[in-house]
Amino acid sequence: MAGLWQENPVLRLLLGMCPTLAVTAAVKPALTMGLSVIFVLVCSNIVVSLMRNLLKSHLRILMFTLTIATFVTIADLFLKAFVPDMSETLGPYIPLIIVNCIIICRAEACASKNGVFISVIDAVGMGLGFTITLCVLAGVRELLATGKIAEQVVMPQAFVPWAAMGLPVGAFITLGLILALVNQVTKKQA
Amino acid sequence: MHRQARYFLEESWLLLIATILFGVLLASLDAAWRPRIIHNEIAKFNRLAGAMLSEAAEFRTQVEALPVESGKGKTIATEIKKGVDANGRTVGWAFIAEGPGFADKIRLVVAVDAAFEELRGFGVLFSNETPGFGDKMKTDDFRNQFVGAPASDLELGKTGDRSVIDDHIVAITGATVTSEAVVDVLNRFVGQVRAGMKEKGLI
Repeated sequence: MAGLWQENPVLRLLLGMCPTLAVTAAVKPALTMGLSVIFVLVCSNIVVSLMRNLLKSHLRILMFTLTIATFVTIADLFLKAFVPDMSETLGPYIPLIIVNCIIICRAEACASKNGVFISVIDAVGMGLGFTITLCVLAGVRELLATGKIAEQVVMPQAFVPWAAMGLPVGAFITLGLILALVNQVTKKQA
Repeated sequence: MHRQARYFLEESWLLLIATILFGVLLASLDAAWRPRIIHNEIAKFNRLAGAMLSEAAEFRTQVEALPVESGKGKTIATEIKKGVDANGRTVGWAFIAEGPGFADKIRLVVAVDAAFEELRGFGVLFSNETPGFGDKMKTDDFRNQFVGAPASDLELGKTGDRSVIDDHIVAITGATVTSEAVVDVLNRFVGQVRAGMKEKGLI
């Protein structure tokens, strides 16, 4: 479960930056993205772990990509069928999970070398770490940009929304400040 | 030859089996969920078109695929639906129009009156325009100036009175590219769809 903090994919490994910056304007899409990544991570880690002894080393990346693409397509179809509005909000970022470094990194670093149980625990830890970070980032941005969290008004009427926080500039500023805070905390711990 | 084939199978059997299994899995799920996905798309179209043609009790497909030149030599086939009221009387037409926006493609549901002379408005089926700027294309303030506008070439200006309904459209402040994209998509599609429908004797 190192993905929750020590090896948090976003805050410590700086992986998955594309969705981190692109879908964190609001909490709901961030949570959907996080849950989709958890689904793909867990399923691909299980499959890669099961076939790890049969993999030819020079074909392994191809096999990982094939496996990941299959589960991303399932996630994409599921969202289109059951949560169509969210599927439209996330647009191309669900199919782009295929090229998310976190997933191929865990297939290579963990699932291809360990049994199913360890691979699932690793996937859940990494996925939760990614999801929680995305939701924290999205919560800060949505709050400052609209005065709401998960579309629920939480700020007083006098609050003046800071629209820039909903734009890419807001994503870079928030991520930069959170990374600085995390570095400061970990420096003190060391 | 035999050795080569054997070597190929020894190296790639796992890849071949995985491809077949994953293919079957995806095909099964697609077959199971496709009707629901199509239902969602139709429901959204009907919701948007129904908001503009409120008299319509249902929308019936009139032309399955009318070719429309959407710019840069690209042709899109768009479905034309007829809005009919409870008595079966035609109350208007609705179709999907699309083109490049500022950040991504924009897809609109466009509604026109039965005679194809006046716009009844547009609804946004898909857009990824900049929050706080381009996404104001979804606001009533911008969209209402199209309701009742002539179904002919519209022109865009940066200033004007949005409450005056004519062929002059006032752009969204800070989102000129998005405003141009909306007007361009409407001009391109409305003209060609009307010509295509006249050709087919539908209007």
